[in-house]
Amino acid sequence: MGWEEVQVRGDAEFVRTAQSYHGRPIFALFCGDKDAEGRSWCPDCVTAEPIVRKELHNLPDESVFIYCLVGDRAYWKDPNNEFRKNLKLTGVPTLLKYGTPQKLVEEECFKAELVRMLFTED
Amino acid sequence: SVQAHKEEDNPQKTMEVNGLMPVPDSYDYDLIIIGGGSGGLAAAKEAAKYGKKVMVMDFVTPTPQGNSWGLGGTCVNVGCIPKKLMHQAALLGQTLQDSRKFGWEFTEEVKHNWMTMTESIQNYIGSLNWGYRVALRDKKVTYENAYGEFVGPHTVKATNKKGTEKLYTAERFIIATGERPRYLGIPGDKEYCISSDDLFSLPYCPGKTLVVGASYVALECAGFLAGLGLDVTVMVRSILLRGFDQDMANRIGEYMKEHGVHFIRKFVPIKVEQVEEGTPGLLKVTAKSTTGNQIIEGEYNTVLLAIGRNPCTRKIGLDKVGVNINETTGKIPVNDEEQTNVPYIYAVGDILQDKLELTPVAIQAGKLLVQRLYAGSTTKCDYVNVPTTVFTPLEYGACGYSEETAVEKFGEENIEVYHSYFWPLEWTVPSRDNNKCYAKIICNIQDNERVIGFHVLGPNAGEVTQGFAAAIKCGLTKKQLDSTIGIHPVCAEV
Repeated sequence: MGWEEVQVRGDAEFVRTAQSYHGRPIFALFCGDKDAEGRSWCPDCVTAEPIVRKELHNLPDESVFIYCLVGDRAYWKDPNNEFRKNLKLTGVPTLLKYGTPQKLVEEECFKAELVRMLFTED
Repeated sequence: SVQAHKEEDNPQKTMEVNGLMPVPDSYDYDLIIIGGGSGGLAAAKEAAKYGKKVMVMDFVTPTPQGNSWGLGGTCVNVGCIPKKLMHQAALLGQTLQDSRKFGWEFTEEVKHNWMTMTESIQNYIGSLNWGYRVALRDKKVTYENAYGEFVGPHTVKATNKKGTEKLYTAERFIIATGERPRYLGIPGDKEYCISSDDLFSLPYCPGKTLVVGASYVALECAGFLAGLGLDVTVMVRSILLRGFDQDMANRIGEYMKEHGVHFIRKFVPIKVEQVEEGTPGLLKVTAKSTTGNQIIEGEYNTVLLAIGRNPCTRKIGLDKVGVNINETTGKIPVNDEEQTNVPYIYAVGDILQDKLELTPVAIQAGKLLVQRLYAGSTTKCDYVNVPTTVFTPLEYGACGYSEETAVEKFGEENIEVYHSYFWPLEWTVPSRDNNKCYAKIICNIQDNERVIGFHVLGPNAGEVTQGFAAAIKCGLTKKQLDSTIGIHPVCAEV
């Protein structure tokens, strides 16, 4: 079995989903919400998403890729939002391997090499 | 003059490599660094800046207890970083006690949870390991998690944890393999004892602990374990902190003793046996006096060996490329440009003979070496007047000569020692010791009373010492020190 993608919105749904896949490698990409035309308010997320998606085929078997929308811009800018508090996220986009200290933040997500390293190496 | 001799039995090369001349691009890499610790990584990142093709090989042979760790070397994983964090954990315990005298009211007993502390610290270390890997990959430095050893001129073999072997060649090499804790060589040492390599990620509270050794590793560990509320005994063969100013070393020992650390002096363990299995279990230690035939026994949950560290130079094929090592100590002698006797092989860090075993020294040496190799620099690493701090419960910062070494070098009549006790303001209200914190400077009378040694025992010793190190590097004299007005109220004004 290869890998599968799940799309969620908000911190509560994210945590529930991650917990339901406990035992499998879980990778997550956090991006700002998208408008009706499908464009995110976060320009870095717009740049990073296609780069990350291009590397998804490198995910190890059994992996789960959670694509998580964090909320609108105002919500994200609030220093006390749930993502900052609970998941310690410092910026969007953030790509991380759940349950480990391994993550890529903002411009680091633009580098295909680094994304590949996150997906394929221990 | 570029000549390469390849001989079957004795691969001694006479190839001179001059960084300013163009060299044939017949190697896999410009530079291969064996060891991804403080020195190795600093050199790697610097070399990448100059567009060099660099590889770092890092591998951690598991401890006898089966423990291992990620990229970054001793400091990050099993040294300075977790040590300072655990020291801080212990200090916070003390602060909580003091806080009551400053008006904070809490009725609960304050207890310490080893697992909570260790998990947080290991998490942080994990983020550092990852950070290094991102940095290397970003700078296009190839990282191999494999054990590197020389197999012939300009050639190393890399063996990963699965046993797969690969060969790589490079124009130049830097050996930065560091050290690992020494064992006693007595029955039960490897089976039952732990070392600093195991302590910082121990998945259970060590309990009643015997620390064997009198190095700064031993005293720092004993210090924070006691500060966290554990029953700690230190078994010392002879003196404390060999190589450090002995008056200061004794003050540190006295302080620890008065604050609950037990010391057994002039004994060495001869046998460790298991009484009970468990996490922790119970161990019986038998020890013999160094001055007679007396034998003593004691039971402890954990025995931590901190009796010294051995350089990782014996099994990396140095004989295959003719690099000389000191056969007794395993250390590598280098010239003042960190070059071994083989011109294209360099070395940095703890493995160097007669150089200080400190992270900042390895980093500086690594960086400057690479700048000399690839950026036309001529700056050499300055190993003189390197400041250091021992993070025992009462911290000790030092820069320059110890009193004994100064007397030996300049003669007692030519040095003047100025000293003072001080009572940190923060210790007054909670009624903590008023006669323990102490500072002294050693001056060379014949050289304008130049300050050649600085020693301070007290809180935040590291922070205090750093500035003085810069002043000493600039040639600080007693007169200049006297005319510097102090900041009040701080410890450093003494």
